[in-house]
Amino acid sequence: MLSRLLGPEYRRKRLAAKAPSGPLRAYLSHVLADRGSDYRQVEYLALDLETTGLQPGKDHILSVGAVLVRGTRIDLSTARHVLVRTKRSIPEASAVIHQITDDRAAQGRPIEEVMPWLLEQLAGRVMIAHHAKVEIGFLTAACRSLYGSEVLFTAVDTQAVALRAFRRRNQEVAARELRLHALRQRYGLPRYPAHDALSDALAAAELFLAQAAHRDSGKGMALKEFLL
Amino acid sequence: MEIELQEIRDFLVRHPPFDHLPEAELARLPKALSIRYFRRGTDFPPHDADQAYLYVIRSGAVEMRDDGGDLVNKLGEGDLCMVPCNPGVTFSGKAVEDTLAYLLPCADLRRIQADHADFNEHFEQSVGQRLRKALDRLKESPPGAETLMTLTVGELVGDRVVHVAPSVSIQEAAKVMSEERVSSVLVMEGEALLGMVTLRDLRSRCLAVGLPFDRPVAEIMTRDLHRIQRTTPAFQALLDMTRLNVHHLPVCDEECPVGVLTTTDLVRHQSANAVYMVGDIYKSKDVEALTQISVRIPELQVHLVATGATAEHVGQAVTSVTDALTKRLLELAEAKLGLPPVPYAWIAAGSQARREQTSYGDQDNALLISDEFRPEHDSYFAELARFVCDGLNACGYYYCPGDVMATNPQWRQPLATWKHYFSTWIESPEPKAVMLSSVFFDMRSVAGDHQLLADLQSHYLGISATNKIFLAYMVANSLKHRPPLGFFRNFVLIRGGDHAKTFDLKHRGVVPVVDIARVLVLSEGLDEIGTVARIQRAATTYAVSKDMAANLVDAFEFIATLRVRHQVGRIRAGQEADNYIHPEELSPLERSHLKDAFRLIGEMQETLANRYQSGRFG
Repeated sequence: MLSRLLGPEYRRKRLAAKAPSGPLRAYLSHVLADRGSDYRQVEYLALDLETTGLQPGKDHILSVGAVLVRGTRIDLSTARHVLVRTKRSIPEASAVIHQITDDRAAQGRPIEEVMPWLLEQLAGRVMIAHHAKVEIGFLTAACRSLYGSEVLFTAVDTQAVALRAFRRRNQEVAARELRLHALRQRYGLPRYPAHDALSDALAAAELFLAQAAHRDSGKGMALKEFLL
Repeated sequence: MEIELQEIRDFLVRHPPFDHLPEAELARLPKALSIRYFRRGTDFPPHDADQAYLYVIRSGAVEMRDDGGDLVNKLGEGDLCMVPCNPGVTFSGKAVEDTLAYLLPCADLRRIQADHADFNEHFEQSVGQRLRKALDRLKESPPGAETLMTLTVGELVGDRVVHVAPSVSIQEAAKVMSEERVSSVLVMEGEALLGMVTLRDLRSRCLAVGLPFDRPVAEIMTRDLHRIQRTTPAFQALLDMTRLNVHHLPVCDEECPVGVLTTTDLVRHQSANAVYMVGDIYKSKDVEALTQISVRIPELQVHLVATGATAEHVGQAVTSVTDALTKRLLELAEAKLGLPPVPYAWIAAGSQARREQTSYGDQDNALLISDEFRPEHDSYFAELARFVCDGLNACGYYYCPGDVMATNPQWRQPLATWKHYFSTWIESPEPKAVMLSSVFFDMRSVAGDHQLLADLQSHYLGISATNKIFLAYMVANSLKHRPPLGFFRNFVLIRGGDHAKTFDLKHRGVVPVVDIARVLVLSEGLDEIGTVARIQRAATTYAVSKDMAANLVDAFEFIATLRVRHQVGRIRAGQEADNYIHPEELSPLERSHLKDAFRLIGEMQETLANRYQSGRFG
């Protein structure tokens, strides 16, 4: 509780000291994005995970989609879609949703390889995800199981940003209105037919650009206005 | 690692010029892009870009304006903004809707341009060059249609086999032929085809040589038959008939006879042919017969377009038919009313004069009478005019809504009066006069004494060329018909920013060029009538540069050809032809070529407006 009061940078340093040497410590040794800086000067990693279920620690990551956002510009040269190999069989319900079957998952890369890459991508950057709880939960669980230690993220949750915008205007909001595709429609963003991790990461990145553009009067804003 | 930006690739390939890129380049392209979002009201292109980019609008809308603040373009989904890649261009704009754009660094664009000539054409060629290519492609790709090249024999013959046994008498066979109203009969033994007897065989092998009618038909039949299959192309059958010099060919399905193809079947298919129609017109005895021929004019246009005809070909063919109808109506009128008391010329005005008619249009005409005319002669000419104009209306050339017809006494006058009209119009141009001038400067003598019109023309050409104020009024009048700026989504974007649901191919495409061409020849005192001929002739003077002239001709042909094709589409769908095309009927490529054509026409209008300072006379 005390550490929360002392701020994220303090917590980051403490966690870095505890983490075993390796990918997690490398990640934690990067200074976190400054919450006070102009959001247009920050680098983000828009992220989406597809998983076998909703419980981190019990369910597994099936695929990762990620793309870098440099300030107000999404850089598609950094777009990646990575399938994760899992030893357990994929529940039918999840295979139907993600179109990822046991066979496809078997072609993926082991989580032991994917996590170091992902942590490297996130180092010093801000995570963007829609309903970021899932991404944070699964990545935290993966760090515990792989490195036996805790992790810390700076994140923009586009769903939380939307919820705050509704509340600022004293508007009632139904859960379905907070879905990624419903929110995109509000901002005139195109409909993407595909629903893989990469297109959802991209969809969240575009939604963030739209949300920021509509809040920003043109003079810029502090990053913390958008953070969880 | 797997890259899945298929959605972005699919978006790009739907929009020119990206559709010209090979698959490998297309697959790489999304990785070179960035994405940005522009809230409504923000400047576009943005001032804070880290480098120069080409912008591809993914969703939303952007308005581009020139230095003077005039709207030059409105960009929607799939449109490109090249401004940052062209340092000389200073257009600026604003997002008028929330806009998502794909950004391609100008450096990457140049690399792709260097590697792919087809793609590069979109950027490197001048507007004129692009349009010329588009026109060539248009000519090479007639909208597919049933021609003898594409039809098969099976589609031309009915499923009726008229046959007799070899043992029946010649007379019996002839009886079967006349009952069945056919010009040939197959001779069959059960399923087997033994031979064929035609009317020609009856004449030359029986009647002419005195063979008794009761002999078996087998004695006069042709035995070595050239058979064709149902699936044989009709064109091949025509070649076979020509080579063998026969008019009948048995048609089989494998071995089994299914009918006989005759030359008539082939000719009937091509009956909507201007030559046949004109021939039929001169044989017609009354207006009723003429109307039966004129109903085939839309069909004539369909056939011409199907075989790759451009607007110019259609114009020539349809006008030939109109001219023939007019001449025949005049002959019928003279037969009824007697010979004219004094010489006259029947004058076609407007598109008929320019030989630019399509199958859909009204009539514009006048009577130019010799100066020997006396008031008591008018009742004759009034009746003549009434007969011809009614006849033309019955043939589908509607009465002119502006009453520019020989039935109107004002346009049924002796030469001296016409000369006076022209002098007045030219020397004191007021709006009505200028409007009438633009109708009557396109005149052609269809029948009668052609010298009358030649005299009138030499009168007005002498005074019009030197009268700058008159020309300025003509230019100002021509600026009433401006081409659109382009297309925005499924709308036509009009100057000033308005949207229209349809593009009026005639008034916003064809007419502006017709007007320009008329001013060009008038300013030089030239007597050409056709729009293309006028522009080409003007290019030999200082009135217009050769390049601009060639571009204008291409723009005109492109729009006019789209127009005749659009009309054919309507005719085929069982609708009346019209001049209104919906943007959704146009492919992205056609839209982009039309935009080029609009730009060329607009530029020429500006040039003329500046030359004659027409702003003062509008």
